[in-house]
Amino acid sequence: MSVLRSGYVRPTSLGEALQLLAQPGARPMGGGTDLAGLIDRGIGQVATIVDLQALALGGIRGEEGRVVIGATTTLSDLLDAQDMLAPYTALLEATAQAASPLLRNVGTVAGNLCQHTRCWYYRGPEWTCWLGGGDTCYAQVGDHRKHGLQAGDCISAHPSDLAPALIACAATVQLGSAWGDRDIDLADLYRRPTATERSLVDLEPGEIILSVTLPAPPDSSVYLRAGERQGFSFPLVGLAAARHGERVSMCAVGVANTPHVLDPVDPLAGLDGHPQSAWKRTVLATLVERSLATVAP
Amino acid sequence: MTRLVRSITEMEGRFEEKWVLVSDDEPEAWASDRPLAIVGHETPRTTGPTRVSGAARYTTDVSLPGMLHVAALRSPLAHGRVTGLNREAALAVPGVRAVLDSTDTLSFRSRSGPLYAEPEHAGALLAVVAADTLVAARAGVKALALTIDPLPFVIDVDEAFRDQRIDGEIAEESRGDVDAALAGADVRVELTVETPTQLQTALEPHGAVGWWTEGELTCWVSTQGIFDARSELAKRFSVAPERVRVVADFIGGGFGAKQGAGVEALLAVELSRRTGRPVRFINDRHGEQLDAGSRPATRQTVRLGATGQGDLVAIDSEVLTSFGMTGWRAVNTPAMTLYRCANARGVEANLKLHLRQGNAFRAPMVLEGVTAVEQAMDELAITLGIDPLDLRRRNFVDVDQPSGLPYTSNQLLACYDRVAELSGWVGRDALLEPSEDGLLRGMGCATQIWWGGGGPPSHATIRIGGDGIATVVTGIQDIGTGTLTAAQMVAAEELGLPLDRVRVTGGDTRPNVYGPVAGGSQTSPSVLPAVRGAAAEVKRTLLQLAGDVFEAAPADLDLVNGRFRSSDGALDEPYTEVTGKLGNATVDGSGMRGANPDGMRANTFGCQVAQVAVDPGTGEVRVEHVWAVHDIGRVINPLGARSQVEGGILQGMAFALSEEVAFDPTTGVPTNAWLDDYKIPSIADVPAMTIAFVDVPDTALNNVGAKGLGEPPIIPTPAAIANAFRHATGRRALALPLTRARVVETLA
Repeated sequence: MSVLRSGYVRPTSLGEALQLLAQPGARPMGGGTDLAGLIDRGIGQVATIVDLQALALGGIRGEEGRVVIGATTTLSDLLDAQDMLAPYTALLEATAQAASPLLRNVGTVAGNLCQHTRCWYYRGPEWTCWLGGGDTCYAQVGDHRKHGLQAGDCISAHPSDLAPALIACAATVQLGSAWGDRDIDLADLYRRPTATERSLVDLEPGEIILSVTLPAPPDSSVYLRAGERQGFSFPLVGLAAARHGERVSMCAVGVANTPHVLDPVDPLAGLDGHPQSAWKRTVLATLVERSLATVAP
Repeated sequence: MTRLVRSITEMEGRFEEKWVLVSDDEPEAWASDRPLAIVGHETPRTTGPTRVSGAARYTTDVSLPGMLHVAALRSPLAHGRVTGLNREAALAVPGVRAVLDSTDTLSFRSRSGPLYAEPEHAGALLAVVAADTLVAARAGVKALALTIDPLPFVIDVDEAFRDQRIDGEIAEESRGDVDAALAGADVRVELTVETPTQLQTALEPHGAVGWWTEGELTCWVSTQGIFDARSELAKRFSVAPERVRVVADFIGGGFGAKQGAGVEALLAVELSRRTGRPVRFINDRHGEQLDAGSRPATRQTVRLGATGQGDLVAIDSEVLTSFGMTGWRAVNTPAMTLYRCANARGVEANLKLHLRQGNAFRAPMVLEGVTAVEQAMDELAITLGIDPLDLRRRNFVDVDQPSGLPYTSNQLLACYDRVAELSGWVGRDALLEPSEDGLLRGMGCATQIWWGGGGPPSHATIRIGGDGIATVVTGIQDIGTGTLTAAQMVAAEELGLPLDRVRVTGGDTRPNVYGPVAGGSQTSPSVLPAVRGAAAEVKRTLLQLAGDVFEAAPADLDLVNGRFRSSDGALDEPYTEVTGKLGNATVDGSGMRGANPDGMRANTFGCQVAQVAVDPGTGEVRVEHVWAVHDIGRVINPLGARSQVEGGILQGMAFALSEEVAFDPTTGVPTNAWLDDYKIPSIADVPAMTIAFVDVPDTALNNVGAKGLGEPPIIPTPAAIANAFRHATGRRALALPLTRARVVETLA
């Protein structure tokens, strides 16, 4: 309903889009698969939906040993670019397991990276949780069987399959806003929320992802995940591992409220778990073991 | 000759004696060895292309000029008291035409609700807003600016039991001396298991379009029972039933939850009466998952006592059901009926909890009971060191033990043999060998019992005219089971016409041809005999007319595959040579379901075997294969029947693996009343399925020999999977579903 009562604009130039996004209440939209659900459940104020799909931000191109993926590239586009992305096995594996074929046809890379947590208290209209601006992390006093393993103000679990694969492959993101562009590590896009910044992504107001850049591919990589069913589910635990020479990078989702880079020496460090989520430690340990075996030379 | 007789009728195990209209002219049951041309042959469902192409009009598709749309305000608390609703603000929203809440005096009668000031479950209706558009209606709901004070609530089973929050009396049924038999048994097992709250999750949510005009009422309802809906609307709104028309052309699933008119139809009609406009009230998905009903959770303790050879000497079952504030009791039915045992006791209590009241869900209560009893039987087999199927064969019983009455048919032993053969049951321990993929595999079985005999009243008419098309009118509302196609097949078979010369209608009360609610697995065994009776009457008339046209003795003629043939073969003419002479005249026939046989019980039986693969490191359970063999009497349409079993297996598998309402303990509100967190299976989860039927007609039951199939296939699947998990891992999860969390915790 709110969708129809909000403004909707589909700018055709990036400059115009960034100006529109600089207005209060403007929300960027890629495929809209997450935004529609958020609006339907009344999460966040939406004055204007700025549809990014007419900006030619999509597409995948290889340049000088790197691969640049435009923000509005769909997940299906990634799977269609098997040749270019084949060296980034983890990314292809993560994409193929994300969501469902219909959602992959619509959902975009930037949207997948910026999707909000699936925490049922955050999403449920019956609660206003701490992350949503309230006083209580209901998960910690309530049902947190699917939640994270870290302590903190918000124990929600990060849901993106793509993020850990891209982070393990050392991807960077190019951000743009009416005030200028910047280039950061994808891992730094995410941050733990604070009392004054109840957001899990470190974007300035009006700032959007323009592209994701993959550096030279790892020697080998893998993405393993434990979902709730064989298809069309979010990862309960997802783990990407990429080996560059002797060094293995591992990044997990479903265990913390942001993609969580694991310490190869002590992968479960800092992930003690909560009473109903501690089972995820077993799963994570298994995925670590299996992914290390897969990427080993 | 038509007569009124007193007859026992049954619906989901509730028996009632009532007056029913029966006919003496019913055809004899088709003999078991009689070859049939259409019945028993695979036939694609007639409505398939219509459904797949999107042309089928479901209730949710009904759109009428001037129609208003309803949005609902629901309780965000398990128990609360409404302290503020700004009706004026809602009515001020452009496009809003009417607002109803608990302070309105409605024109229909209701014991409580349907709009509450003190809701007793999350999602309970507090108010509805009707507006020109759904967007305006939702804006109206928002403008109501609900304020509500929380009241104490109880959803915890232990807390409720401690406080003895029990609905009515604790039910107890028993025979023999259970305590003595248990004490004297060579072997005893005791098992406590929990089953989850499962939501019907029909693809089409509950909903209705109501249109009140000049004391005439037309209502499109997504319902399993158009005649029940008509009765309910007529009674509640004090209108004669003949002035009420209920239409349900296509129904997007019901699974038991769509009985009668439903609150959506009542409120749509009420709002139509007030506004003079047709009114559409379709649940949104959150409303549907919160407030359309459920299979309530249970906690069951089963104690079995047996001799060292495996003869059951005692069955003792205690059940706590989380039904909401009130419900019915039948979880102990399997404990009391499934196996031969002289000493059996079932104790059953419904806890009064601040939950949406449970309602019928495909094999209500019996699936839950079987899930516990069959896991206990598995434990008994393990304790005794007996093959679990052999233990079941050994305790087979061919009478209904509570009543002592024989069954009209019972092919359960044949089901055991066939499912063992198909699944390679005797070699199942080979699955326990270490596998290359590191997964733990195992196989488990479970038995099914359910009623499903159907009964009167059920009627059908057939009319054939100059175009040679036979139109069958039934009171069937086909909720996706394919019963309309089965009716078409039976009519074509009896008439001796090709399938495409027969059309079947249902889903509309206007012709006033009664059919029962599509529940209790009763549609096929109730309606199909009536269809056959009507077809037999039409055929008799057609043969007489053929005698006139061809100057032959009717007794010497038959109508076969659309041709009149004489017994000596001299005459062989298309049937249109007769019907083509009818002009505007028609040949009509009517049929009705006869009474059930006295002194017998009609039940369906079956057995399923499941094979699972368990990944202990990630908690994943995959169902790799399910073998299902059921005794449903004569199989009318093997294609449709297999499809029905596939659906039952999937829904049962989901109960065992992933479907479970999670309740927030601090507010009593379901956290996953959506489709993203409430997991029904995806296509990728579908296991291999091998499905077979014993296919021996139940000639004692009705003239087509068919029993029902809606419920049976879901019943044994969860226990078969749980037992396969036990076989694979050596552990038994004491609660379903077998989510990753529960599996990891169970195997820890």
